[in-house]
Amino acid sequence: MLRAQDVERMVKTGGSTRRPEDGITPCFKPGDAVRTRNRNPLGHTRMARYARGKRGTIHHDHGVFVFPDTSAHGLGDKPQHLYSVRFEARELWGDTASAADAVYIDLWDDYLEPA
Amino acid sequence: MSTQHHNAPEAEPALRVKALEALLTEKGLIDPQALDILVDTYEKKVGPKNGAKVVARAWVDPAYKKRLLANGTTAIAELGISGMQGEDMVVVENTPAVHNLIVCTLCSCYPWPTLGLPPVWYKSAPYRSRAVSDPRGVLKEFGLEIPANVEIRVWDSSAEIRYMVLPERPKGTENMSEEQLAELITRDSMIGVAKVTLDSSAGSQA
Repeated sequence: MLRAQDVERMVKTGGSTRRPEDGITPCFKPGDAVRTRNRNPLGHTRMARYARGKRGTIHHDHGVFVFPDTSAHGLGDKPQHLYSVRFEARELWGDTASAADAVYIDLWDDYLEPA
Repeated sequence: MSTQHHNAPEAEPALRVKALEALLTEKGLIDPQALDILVDTYEKKVGPKNGAKVVARAWVDPAYKKRLLANGTTAIAELGISGMQGEDMVVVENTPAVHNLIVCTLCSCYPWPTLGLPPVWYKSAPYRSRAVSDPRGVLKEFGLEIPANVEIRVWDSSAEIRYMVLPERPKGTENMSEEQLAELITRDSMIGVAKVTLDSSAGSQA
């Protein structure tokens, strides 16, 4: 239980879900073309439905983070690389969207496949 | 609350929260004093004034701005700002060619240490769904018309990275001090639903 005397320290430090990168190789690098897997798990996921099965480009590798799909269910951290992936607005929403615009989503290795 | 409503029953969510708090306290699962400190922290101590300090520093110190865009977490921590929901920060820069907008489509993820707790509209389903599918329409409703040739980048912070916008410094502020600049910087400009103007001030936010 969080005690009154511990609140300040907790608020100040928080708890990152970043994990050491040692031995965990990224499957992708910035510039790579990817497609999101059309996964539809019954449990927790951070793979937003509007972006499933869509083509994007790896913008940035954030490093290694705990994988929420397993950790949320007590199935382990399964740490893996998390990327910022750029999707053109038209890939997500069709031709009525602006050709200039894009959506960036943070996605784990398990959500992605090469395009 | 006006006296007219003096005897009106409390709203249902407020009653539910009270009942939950009483139950959790009775079961020994929460320390009500810890709750009070948490509420006080985010009501009075942590808020968008923190983010405004970061932006003002970036505007006056090019080397700091470079560090901020390269590693948001460590550069923000240089100003003594860190903590829960800001453990891994990315700062995205507005320019004449790019306008950035922050949303969390899956819930209401938000950078607490720099911006405080999210406004109600940020947590609402209409903002969360339309910010990604129709950002130009949403921004227009906030009174912001983005020219067609300017690229809008929407950042869906649905993982563990938290985002903050570095807004453009308005013209006519060249002689202002860092403290004066910080006064101009609003919460909404750091979410990306407003620009910083000479008229904007942190006190006028809903």
